[in-house]
Amino acid sequence: MNVLDLDDGAARALQIAERARALYAEQRQRVLRRVDRMFFGLMGGQWVFGIVVALLYSPYAWEGKQQAIHLHVYLAVFLGGALSLFPMLLAWRRPGWVVTRQVIAVSQMLWSALLIHLTGGRIETHFHVFGSLAFLAFYLDWRVLGTASAVVLVDHLARGLLWPESVYGIANPEWWRFLEHGFWVAFEDVFLLIACRNGIQDMWRGARRQAEVEVLRESDELKTFALEMALAEARS
Amino acid sequence: MQTRERWLWAILGALWLAAIGAGARVLWSYQSTPGEHAAERRLWPAASRLPRDPARPTLVLVAHPHCACTRASLAELAGLMRRLRGRVAARVVFVRPAGLPAGWERTDTWRTAQGIPEVTVWADPGGVEAARFGARTSGQVLLYGQDGRLLFSGGITPIRGHVGDSAGQERIVSLVTTGRADAATSKVFGCALGTAAGRGPEGKGA
Repeated sequence: MNVLDLDDGAARALQIAERARALYAEQRQRVLRRVDRMFFGLMGGQWVFGIVVALLYSPYAWEGKQQAIHLHVYLAVFLGGALSLFPMLLAWRRPGWVVTRQVIAVSQMLWSALLIHLTGGRIETHFHVFGSLAFLAFYLDWRVLGTASAVVLVDHLARGLLWPESVYGIANPEWWRFLEHGFWVAFEDVFLLIACRNGIQDMWRGARRQAEVEVLRESDELKTFALEMALAEARS
Repeated sequence: MQTRERWLWAILGALWLAAIGAGARVLWSYQSTPGEHAAERRLWPAASRLPRDPARPTLVLVAHPHCACTRASLAELAGLMRRLRGRVAARVVFVRPAGLPAGWERTDTWRTAQGIPEVTVWADPGGVEAARFGARTSGQVLLYGQDGRLLFSGGITPIRGHVGDSAGQERIVSLVTTGRADAATSKVFGCALGTAAGRGPEGKGA
């Protein structure tokens, strides 16, 4: 092996690394845009679902025999609309942008809170929090999960301080009580973060393999071309 | 992305947060505002048609059959009855305001109440019984001892129309099981019953 061979090998490795980075970025952007599009649909679906829930569960407020449209119906339309429309606009106009997925993460967790209220605190609706975290993990971005989990924690901490009965049912819970709820969110986060890391590593490996194949094929094509040229020259 | 576009998104984001904050405030205020508390009736109303159990405490829940909050109150009552397992008798009174046809009160909440063990369900045409017990807000719970004295008066949901542990429930459980509690009242969350509870005689014994 001579110096020229070493330089050739290093140049090829550099070429592969550069190509792998480009392929990874391309694939990453494709994933982010695809998940943004999925959330565009989910945000719209949640809005409709929230309105249907409010209409079925609490259509009217009553005072004796007088009935009026329940506040939950207005909140499902207007607060639900506010929660959904901005993330939908971002997903439509700026798919793949870091801000888009962060806004989606905040909105998705606030949707959990709104749906819990619209269904009168049904324990089953709390599963929306955990389903949402799993869905957000499709972004393969730990920061998105961090934002979503922080929204849950801040909500519990703030309500626990301002009006503890609404979260814990007692007036004077221990100050650390919000951590108990946060623990189960963190519990799911651990597995989702591992899945995100594995997903990113797989994407890197895929990009690297494809880059190697492309660079080697290019190198082979160059050699074949050089050989054909040499043969053509010899014949003439 | 151009600076102008960044600013546009920042402004839209600020408006979005403001809209969410305003909506959350409205929701919070609605959920956390209690209804009117019952007028005090220290003794089981003498004129009441409801039977009081002389062998154990009797719990009376006055409810509006169409109020969405009633579902939460009944869910909590079911939990309470499970915890107290036969140590208390319960009557759920569904108010039918005057002028409404018979059967108006037979809603899904009526059927839910019928399905709770140890609970008997009563229709209250014109809100007469509700007025006798002084109830003004759907979800009002009154617990009377074997001697007919009022032990507790309040609600059993933590906030309006929301299931979950509440101070009212804990106090009832404590009163029934130990005879003591840190307080004998709690906030009541629910629709207004539209009864003339305040005008009834107060403190008349059974």
